Amino acid sequence: MEPELTNESTSQSAQRPTDATPDRRTVSVTVNGTRCEAAVDVRKTLADFLREDAGSTGVHVGCEHGVCGACSVLMDGEVIRSCILFAVQADGHEIVTVEGLGSEQELSPLQQAFVDHHALQCGFCTPGMLLAAVDLLKHCPDPTEAQVREALSGNLCMCTGYAGIIRAVRAAAPLMSGPVDSHAGARGTSPPASGDDRAPAKG
Amino acid sequence: MEASSTQWKGRAVPLREDLRFSTGRGTYIDDMKFPDTLHVALLRSVHAHARILKVDLSEALEMPGVVCGLTGEDASRMSEPLRSLIPIPVALDAYCLAYGKVTHVGEPVAAILAESRYLAEDALEKIRVEYEPLPAAVDPEAAMEPDASLLFESMGTNVMWQDRFDYGDVDEAFGRAARVLKKRFYIQRYSSTALETFGCTAVYDDHREQLTIWSNDQRPGQAMPIVAHSLGLTHSQIRFVTPDVGGGFGNKRKAHYLIIAALLSKLSGGRPVHYLEDRRENLMALIHACNGVMDLEAALDEEGRILGMKVRDIADEGANVLNPTVHSILKLGNLTNCYRIPVVRYEVNSVMTNKCPSGANRGIGKPFMCLAMERMMDYLARELGMDAIDLRRRNLVLPDAMPYTGPSGALIDSGDFNGTLDKLLPLIDYEDFLREQREARAQGRYLGIGIAIGLEPSTSNASAYILSSGRRSASGAAEAAMVRVEHDGSILVLLGDVGSGQGHETAAAQIVADELGVAMDGVRVSPFFDSAVTPWLYATGNYSNKFAGTDVGAILGAARKVRDKLLELAAHLLEEPVENLELADGGVHARDRHEHRKTLGELAFVAYRDLLSLPPDMEPGLEGRFYYKPDIANVPDENRRVRNQLFASNAAHGVIVEVDPDTGGVTILKYGVVHDCGTVLNPSIVEGLVQGATAHGIGAALFEEFDYDAEGNLKSTTFVDYLKPTAVEIPDVAMDHLVTPSPYTPLGMKGVGEGGAIPAPAAICNAVENALEPLGCTFDHLPLTPERVWEQMEKARASK
Repeated sequence: MEPELTNESTSQSAQRPTDATPDRRTVSVTVNGTRCEAAVDVRKTLADFLREDAGSTGVHVGCEHGVCGACSVLMDGEVIRSCILFAVQADGHEIVTVEGLGSEQELSPLQQAFVDHHALQCGFCTPGMLLAAVDLLKHCPDPTEAQVREALSGNLCMCTGYAGIIRAVRAAAPLMSGPVDSHAGARGTSPPASGDDRAPAKG
Repeated sequence: MEASSTQWKGRAVPLREDLRFSTGRGTYIDDMKFPDTLHVALLRSVHAHARILKVDLSEALEMPGVVCGLTGEDASRMSEPLRSLIPIPVALDAYCLAYGKVTHVGEPVAAILAESRYLAEDALEKIRVEYEPLPAAVDPEAAMEPDASLLFESMGTNVMWQDRFDYGDVDEAFGRAARVLKKRFYIQRYSSTALETFGCTAVYDDHREQLTIWSNDQRPGQAMPIVAHSLGLTHSQIRFVTPDVGGGFGNKRKAHYLIIAALLSKLSGGRPVHYLEDRRENLMALIHACNGVMDLEAALDEEGRILGMKVRDIADEGANVLNPTVHSILKLGNLTNCYRIPVVRYEVNSVMTNKCPSGANRGIGKPFMCLAMERMMDYLARELGMDAIDLRRRNLVLPDAMPYTGPSGALIDSGDFNGTLDKLLPLIDYEDFLREQREARAQGRYLGIGIAIGLEPSTSNASAYILSSGRRSASGAAEAAMVRVEHDGSILVLLGDVGSGQGHETAAAQIVADELGVAMDGVRVSPFFDSAVTPWLYATGNYSNKFAGTDVGAILGAARKVRDKLLELAAHLLEEPVENLELADGGVHARDRHEHRKTLGELAFVAYRDLLSLPPDMEPGLEGRFYYKPDIANVPDENRRVRNQLFASNAAHGVIVEVDPDTGGVTILKYGVVHDCGTVLNPSIVEGLVQGATAHGIGAALFEEFDYDAEGNLKSTTFVDYLKPTAVEIPDVAMDHLVTPSPYTPLGMKGVGEGGAIPAPAAICNAVENALEPLGCTFDHLPLTPERVWEQMEKARASK
């Protein structure tokens, strides 16, 4: 699905910006099932919006140029990089961050596999890795090792050398099914979506 | 003291940190912000070397949302020059912002504080700086010449440290050698680039004269005195807090930013001030490992025994005024790797250039020393017509020689280097491969195998820097910890060394649970360092693989203080002799009557509330603090020999590669590591660190380079042109372990973390040369990019 830039004429917020202040818009984004509305600068990145306005500090910013993948989130079920999208581009869309996958008390099968296989060290890449893996397993429920490596090659991990991550994703694959439901963690009940509708923002 | 129980130690218990990290609930520095936080943006030099004629903030200060700004001149009035960690020959008066001149591209020149980072960055564009560009010193050898452009005129040279160490009669050894071989090696600039960048939040309350700094600085024990000195504050006026650290690898320390944030907080009337590098700032101005040049000369007898060695090293420090000579010093402690080489000459050159300051990076100097040494072993074997593994075996320090002191005084406390090699060869199917290689060559395929062994000394002894500085600014190694049984019987542990992914919380809990006879769940380890509550000293922090060498001793010491007190208190209450008591199942009981017991909660009730039930002379409370220092640290002797790092792990790496004849691309087909870090506390942690460190070594060998042009411009400032290996390039390392416990650490543990990064570049380079043996290609520069490999192949093919 193509994220749409909000039309300027329809989203003018009550306050008309002066020349000296950047343009602001009110955006409404569903984050992990909860609607989050805020007036934001149009240039504010989606990553900053999610961290600052939606309180999802599990969205990590590692490079700000779309390479490292730490800021990956799901938008309408597809993995995207929130550092190279603007918040206004997510207006009206549904976002799932790592906080939407599971909690410490109730880990999703994928998160549990990350713990079981020590698939992380410092934890900074982990949220992005998890969401990239959710996206992979939705499109490819039983991936080979090579497919996992390829799918995660847009996410940098500086600590683990990837071995534990690959093992964890493969171990979790049989336990996952369907697309992510942002209310119910990483497992949904609807059938897997077709594999050809990935968001173009995936780097 | 009786041996501790081992119910938890040694087990691959899952890491408790992984729970919060896998749910996005870590608390990193960018999460440490308050509602009224202001944001810093830094204007950085576009010149490698220039005089600053004028910095004009006036227009920038008029920009929307801007609160205030800071120039180098302001900083020179408001703060003292940064105190260097390694005392340097002349005072250089370097401030937190460039003052007078800039010495590398990316050096901070001015700071803007604004309501948001966006607005602060807008304002940067309105700052007017007039520079007078100067010629840049970029190549380290050229920078040593008398006519070189000088970074610091007051030094009269760019050579920060030049010295010659003659350990034994080197000329005599070379005089009687059957063969002498000399080779030159280079290493490029690279860095482990933690995924989280470096930053801080500072609150400077001028009225209360109190500064609080939150920072992912991985060495708060060193940062604190620098910040205090620059700002004219006492340590007791500063509270320094380290939250979760998103990877460190040595890089995360730059007191400049902490001081800038503190000054801006002061100027803004005490509002919280946050600064976090963006990736470009991180790549061009935090820390690079030194690039360098090394001439290695080895003297051999007829049987292939190394009689002596000469090492001439040039370490390109960049504009490093904070902690120069670190790479040179750590090479000195690792000159002879795992080999019995009786005499060595080491010529040191630590040279300043107009590049990013160098500093600590996974292994610091050891990867280059190992690269040169292990490449040399292959060249020597070729020269002698010997098998390269046999040549290594002939020169290894043997187990019966342990503990072994090398010519520079470096200590190898333990190890069985033949043993690690013995395990490596079957792990990578060495014999089968040789057959496979012959067949592949017949088909025109280039398959190669490379072996490298590497010593992994850990736990830095600060007194080694007396050699470079001539002054005793610190000595020894240490860490501090606190263990407390709380009022309700729960257990809290504080540790000076905040990990950055090494699982310190889990590891500490394993140790304390065994000491106090409780389940691991009953031990909470604070993930934060907080100078106001955590015991700490200058050595405090996360570096030099020191957890095994110092932290374990501190944790054990603190836990045993509490344990002894629990036993004493229980003896009083149960009216039993201490000898008949033991800690188990969350309490203390009589050995012969387990029901005769007091729980930790009951003991804590007495210790904190029912104080008149305490033994008459017993102090209330159940808290143990321990500052641990290994006894074997020393200071340089009259021959300038010193135990540079204290406990030596080791590893043998074997790698099989294929080189594409058309593209020069190198593919790793198999990678094997046998690692020996002594007693293993948690196998999950050890295996994760070995795999991860090996990935860093692979990155350095094949992909990563900070590439400067002749004017000192950095050409690789994003992850698009500074290439990190991904899941596609890093193989699963086949791993095996050998356990030779250190006789000098409390549990026999030795360091783990740097290991893989040390021998990997050598092993891969050896493998690529082995693959291209039919063409006779040799490589003295890394990384082995397809372009570099292809060029050598083309040259070789053209000359045939």
